[in-house]
Amino acid sequence: MSRASQLKTSPISKRDSRMGGGSTQDGELHKRLDRMAIGDANSITNLQRSEICPVCKSSRYLNSNLRFLVNPECYHKMCESCVDRIFSHGPARCPIPGCQKTLRKPRFREQTFEDIKVEREVDIRKKVAAVFNRREDEFETLRAYNDYLNDVEDITFNLINNIDLEETNKRFDAYQKAHEKEIIENAQRAQQETQSFAAMQKAERQLAKQRREAARREEEEEKREMEETRRDMLNRLASGQDADLVARQGQQVQLKKRMDRQAAAERQRQLQAASSGIMLIKGLKSKQKVEPEAPIDPFGGVTFGMQYFTLQDDYIWEGVQDPKTNVQFGAGGYNVNEFTTRALCDAFAGLGVFVDDHDKATEKAPQSAEVGGVKGPAVAASDVKMEDPL
Amino acid sequence: MVIIQRRVIIAEQLWWAVSPHITVPNAELYRVHRIFRRADNSAMTAPLSEDDIYRTSSQYRLWFFSPENLAAQRAKTRELAIERARHNATQSTAACEYLTAEEELRLVQRYCEQIRTTSDHFKWPITLKATAVQYLKRFYTSNSCITYPPKEIYKTVLFLACKAEGTHMTLSEYARRISTEKESILAPEYKVMQALRFTLEVKHAYRGLKGVLMELLNMAAGTNGEGYKSKMMELALPPKDNRTPWRSASSGSLDQQLLNDRIQAAYAAARTCLDAPALLTDVYFLYTPSQILFAALHVADEPLVAFYLDTKLPATSELRPKILSAIHACAAIMAAFSNGTVMSKDERALLEEKLELCRDSTTRDLVKKHANAKVGNVDDEEERAKRRKMEREKHMKEGDDLFGATLSSSNGLKG
Repeated sequence: MSRASQLKTSPISKRDSRMGGGSTQDGELHKRLDRMAIGDANSITNLQRSEICPVCKSSRYLNSNLRFLVNPECYHKMCESCVDRIFSHGPARCPIPGCQKTLRKPRFREQTFEDIKVEREVDIRKKVAAVFNRREDEFETLRAYNDYLNDVEDITFNLINNIDLEETNKRFDAYQKAHEKEIIENAQRAQQETQSFAAMQKAERQLAKQRREAARREEEEEKREMEETRRDMLNRLASGQDADLVARQGQQVQLKKRMDRQAAAERQRQLQAASSGIMLIKGLKSKQKVEPEAPIDPFGGVTFGMQYFTLQDDYIWEGVQDPKTNVQFGAGGYNVNEFTTRALCDAFAGLGVFVDDHDKATEKAPQSAEVGGVKGPAVAASDVKMEDPL
Repeated sequence: MVIIQRRVIIAEQLWWAVSPHITVPNAELYRVHRIFRRADNSAMTAPLSEDDIYRTSSQYRLWFFSPENLAAQRAKTRELAIERARHNATQSTAACEYLTAEEELRLVQRYCEQIRTTSDHFKWPITLKATAVQYLKRFYTSNSCITYPPKEIYKTVLFLACKAEGTHMTLSEYARRISTEKESILAPEYKVMQALRFTLEVKHAYRGLKGVLMELLNMAAGTNGEGYKSKMMELALPPKDNRTPWRSASSGSLDQQLLNDRIQAAYAAARTCLDAPALLTDVYFLYTPSQILFAALHVADEPLVAFYLDTKLPATSELRPKILSAIHACAAIMAAFSNGTVMSKDERALLEEKLELCRDSTTRDLVKKHANAKVGNVDDEEERAKRRKMEREKHMKEGDDLFGATLSSSNGLKG
């Protein structure tokens, strides 16, 4: 709701005002130095703070096993022993002075992020995302989806920054109540998807492993065979066989090997083909099948009703017969019907068109009255300047 | 603006020319559709008939005249041209005799004939020839011989038609073969395009005639209805004054072969008629190609075409008498034409001598005019040189400064 207004009082602007007054020329450098200084100060205080329990003041220096826990109700930090001590008998007030929240022990957990603000924001975002779990494909247009995302972000922002908390919570609850069913459905869908995605990934890994193993086996086999043939040839030569014969046999062996290799490549290809069926590409949107487009009507709905002729399938005139049977014409896509239609259309186009009707029509339409030639000679008589288009 | 428009229209019209082998009827219909869309932005729901398709053509919109309108148009053109010639005339040529309207018409006709013989000499297709002739005729509806003598125009027109009809011949080849300067062919080209109002498409009757031939042959073979064949067998013989060379050998019954011969003969005669008489008279302005082709058939073989039209136009049709009278009138014009009326070479020479005296002096050197217009309409060579020098100096000045010329305000500060 008021994200924009909040931004105005953001720390950046504060920092700017603080260091304002100096020369703005090399403000970038100053800013950087400033930031470093702040970082240092924070780290010191944070270190001190993170080492000491704010409730019992015991420090990590004395107890190296000290663990700090927070409760998402108020995010106040305290050590494990304090939590045990205060909350093991049931819900109790937060021991930090000024905090009115009632806390329960089971909800205490370890802090994930160092910055407690981030911790809180992440929690809120998780909570909101669990309720507002609509998907893009549920919206008709991208615009609608973006609007929805904007609304969700507004609510999240308000919750995080405690703006209009009451009203926002009311909106949140109302939505949750109204869309209970959809929320559950979407959650289930998301779960299924992650499961199937994991399964597919697993299958893919398995296949890749199989492929690798097969390739390695083949390679080993090949190497072994090579070695074998070589040894065999040497043996034979040693035993005094004919060198030509040995060479020929060696060739045959080579041929056989080549065939083997081809077969192996084929196997490989089959394996790949099989694996490509379940190729996994992330980030793909499942699209609905698009309806095939209707053929373009170049006349935009204008129809032609020929009143003087009906086209026949065949004309015996040799002027038509020749191109019809000649491959040279047909190969280029020429259709004799194009000619016959046009010839017959030409034969009657204007048969019932007369000059007197034409003159009447031009009288009616003044813009084309010049057709009769009133303007023509005037234009011609005064030589229009010739302009060269180049 | 003119140029852009020109380009668009040329592209539109040349579509036929450049893609003769692409599915041509569809291309035509597509153009038709576009024109209709332009007219009333909404798709037409009623189916378009052949006549509607013709009504979308530029030939119908711009080049369709009644005899009176055509005569009035020519008279007006002549009047304006003479007025202009008088205005431009020097004292020595002021008192001269201008060509009469009749002489002008005959001179243009003579050059139409010239185009025909040149085109035949190059063995170009008949449609190209007819297109070129129509270009010349169209040009002289809005221009007069006094302004642009046809001797200077006809070569350009033929070259333009050659391009528009997709028959390629390079300019140098063309100029060489008709032994003319290249420049004199190109010079009036834009003027011609303007006068043609950038409509390069001319619809002819030749393809339509082939369509009729196709149908007639099928009818004679009895492939579209048995009734036609027997009727055709009983048709009266063509009268003596018909142009068809076919005459029944025996006075008895016709057989299939003879009938086919008759149709082919009628086709050949009609085609001849579509060549000279149709091109050298004004029928292209007065009638549609369809009417012209039936008129040509009428001149060739009257009973045959009467029978064919009966099958197409029912007796009850409202348009029937009108169509038939148009065809008969067109046929009368074409039948009345004889090649002897075209003026002879000597007569032409005489007429051109006369024209040389009375012609408009401003359009005397088209080549120079064209060259000037191309370079930027500056006549004076000196002025052009001056302009070039100034341009160069400006460039030098700007080149001196590393970051271009200094700004005027900073100049003021420095001063």
